[in-house]
Amino acid sequence: MTPHLTQLVLQQAPAAPVGRIVGGWGYVWACYGIAWSGMALYALSLWVRRPKRKEPSP
Amino acid sequence: MFRVVVFLAITILTGLALRFSVRSARLAIGFGLLGLVTVAIGGYLGLVVAPPERDMGDVYRILYVHVPAAWVGLLCVCLNFGACVAYLFKADWGADSFAEATAEVGLCFSTIAIVLGSIWAKPTWGVYWTWDPRLTTYAIMIVSYSAYLVLRGFIDDPERRAVWSSVVGIIAGVDIPIVYFSVNWWNTLHQQQSSPQTVSKPMVLPLDVSGFAFLFVMICFIALRHRIARARRAEEIAPPEALPSTSREAA
Repeated sequence: MTPHLTQLVLQQAPAAPVGRIVGGWGYVWACYGIAWSGMALYALSLWVRRPKRKEPSP
Repeated sequence: MFRVVVFLAITILTGLALRFSVRSARLAIGFGLLGLVTVAIGGYLGLVVAPPERDMGDVYRILYVHVPAAWVGLLCVCLNFGACVAYLFKADWGADSFAEATAEVGLCFSTIAIVLGSIWAKPTWGVYWTWDPRLTTYAIMIVSYSAYLVLRGFIDDPERRAVWSSVVGIIAGVDIPIVYFSVNWWNTLHQQQSSPQTVSKPMVLPLDVSGFAFLFVMICFIALRHRIARARRAEEIAPPEALPSTSREAA
C-alpha cells in the first residue's frame, strides 16, 4: 500500500476505542422496562385472580 | 462445585421461606415489598453506580436484569420438579398447587430472561437470535413448561390433572441440567457461568442485589399463586352439599 493510501485509511479510523460498544442506552432502557413491566403485570394478574373468600384450613 | 453448593443452599433457604409464605399472605406480600425495594436499589446500582464494561460499554447493564431473571426462572422450574416428584409419592394437593404456582412463575421469569437476552444479543452478537445450545435448550424449556400449563388447563378432573402434569413436569425437568451445563458441554456463543472470581468487584454488588431482589419477588409470586391454586382446588373438590341448591329455590 502506498503511503498516501495508508494515510487515507488511517484518517477514516474511528475516534472511539476499537472493540467497545458506544451508547446502546435504548437497549438498556428497553430491557429494564420489559423486566419491570413484566413483573408488574404478573403481580396485577395475581391481584385480579386472588381468592375471594377464605380458604378452608388444610 | 462452589456454584452447585451455593445454588443448593439458596434453593433450600428459598424452600423454607416459601413454606412459611404460602401459609401467610402477609408474609408473602412482605417479601414482595422487600423485593420491590431491592429491585429499586439494584436498578440504581446497575444503571448509575456500576462502571461501563471494557468491551460492551453500557449495554452490559442489561445483564443486571437478564441474569437474575434467568437464575430465578431456573430455580422455579427446579422447585416445580421437586413438587411434581413429591406429588407422585404423596398425592398431596399442596404439592400439586405448589407445582402449578412454580411452573407459572418460572415461565414468567424465563420468558423475561430470554427476551432480555435477545435484546442484549443484538448490539453484542449482531443478531437477536441464534441456535446456540444455551438459547436452544432454554427455548425448549420454555415450550415444555408452556405445554405443562396448557395440559393443566385442558384436564377437568383434579386428580388426573395432578398426576399427568406431574409426569410432564418431571420429563420437562430433564432439560434443566442440560440448560445449565450446555455452556460447558458444547461450544457456545453464550458465556460460561460467572462467579465472583470472574466478575470485576464493582460489578458484583449490583448483580448480587438484583439477584436477591428477583428472588424475593419470586417468593411473593409463588406464595400468592399457590394460594390461588389451593382456593381453586378447594372449589373443585367441594362436596355437592356445599353448592347452592337451585331446585329448592324453584319450589
